[in-house]
Amino acid sequence: MHEFAVTEGLLEIVQAEARKAGARKVSEVHVTIGELSTFVDRSIEFYFTELSRGTLAEGAELVFTTVEASAWCDLCDIEFHPDSAFVTCPECHSPVPVLSRGQELYVDSIEVG
Amino acid sequence: MRIEVRQNILARNDEAAAANRALLASHDVTLVNLMAAPGAGKTSVIMGTIEELRSRVGIAVIEGDIASEVDSLAIEAMDIPAIQINTGGGCHLNAGMIGTALEHLDLEALDMIIIENVGNLVCPAEFDLGEESRILITSVTEGHDKPYKYPQIFRVADAVLINKVDLLPYCDFDMARFRELVLGLNPGASLFEVSCTEERGLAAWTAWLASAVGRVG
Repeated sequence: MHEFAVTEGLLEIVQAEARKAGARKVSEVHVTIGELSTFVDRSIEFYFTELSRGTLAEGAELVFTTVEASAWCDLCDIEFHPDSAFVTCPECHSPVPVLSRGQELYVDSIEVG
Repeated sequence: MRIEVRQNILARNDEAAAANRALLASHDVTLVNLMAAPGAGKTSVIMGTIEELRSRVGIAVIEGDIASEVDSLAIEAMDIPAIQINTGGGCHLNAGMIGTALEHLDLEALDMIIIENVGNLVCPAEFDLGEESRILITSVTEGHDKPYKYPQIFRVADAVLINKVDLLPYCDFDMARFRELVLGLNPGASLFEVSCTEERGLAAWTAWLASAVGRVG
């Protein structure tokens, strides 16, 4: 449920950017989220609906873009797509500590009127 | 009209964490973020750590819980400053909460502040509090498979304490497998086997902690 805090942060960014542009209403919020981030888009959506009531962003549509996860095995010198958050190399099966992609969470853009 | 934003959603927390870090550095105080599931023995480890280090390290504790002052009262009973943060349902502490708590501590009199994060293996992993070290406590009763289930918190920990080792004879806990899993996720992690009940292993852990905060000897 840390998505509550994350959605508060998201809403602050959206409102600040909309105000800066002199916008009256936000119609879309584009959010990029890593496939293996610990944040759940459906949860963010749920909190966004509640938290945005009475703000410029009320009723805005959240559009998520997922970044496919990617990891690199130093032992085998291969890049691969991990199939779970506990990442192991598909060739040598050793655990891989660092993801090269897939844990992102940022506001990409907003559509305002 | 489309506005490019490209802003990390956790940026605001990260800024508050950086402010905490700068404030503490200016007072030469080390912040330690202690994370664990409920019941792993966070408060017992903190109390054992205080006993080991209090003669040479000035310590205060920030207690994070959903509700109650049970933990901070236990720490205050040891004559150690304790600030209780009740998150009122919030599943983790954030850097802003720690910033507020720091206003209530006499930083000049301290060397180390230990944060007891809310009992949870998910959310605390994502929120930088401005700490120098992140410590994860697990206990043998939780099973050796936790790194499979909560990999992120094992990735971000500088040290992992395995508590309640006095209960090993009664638990199906494979220590070698657990160590292998933790080091696979986090090759740089230091591991310590401790039992707060039997006061075992605390000296090795506190020696590591004291050296991590530059207070050896």
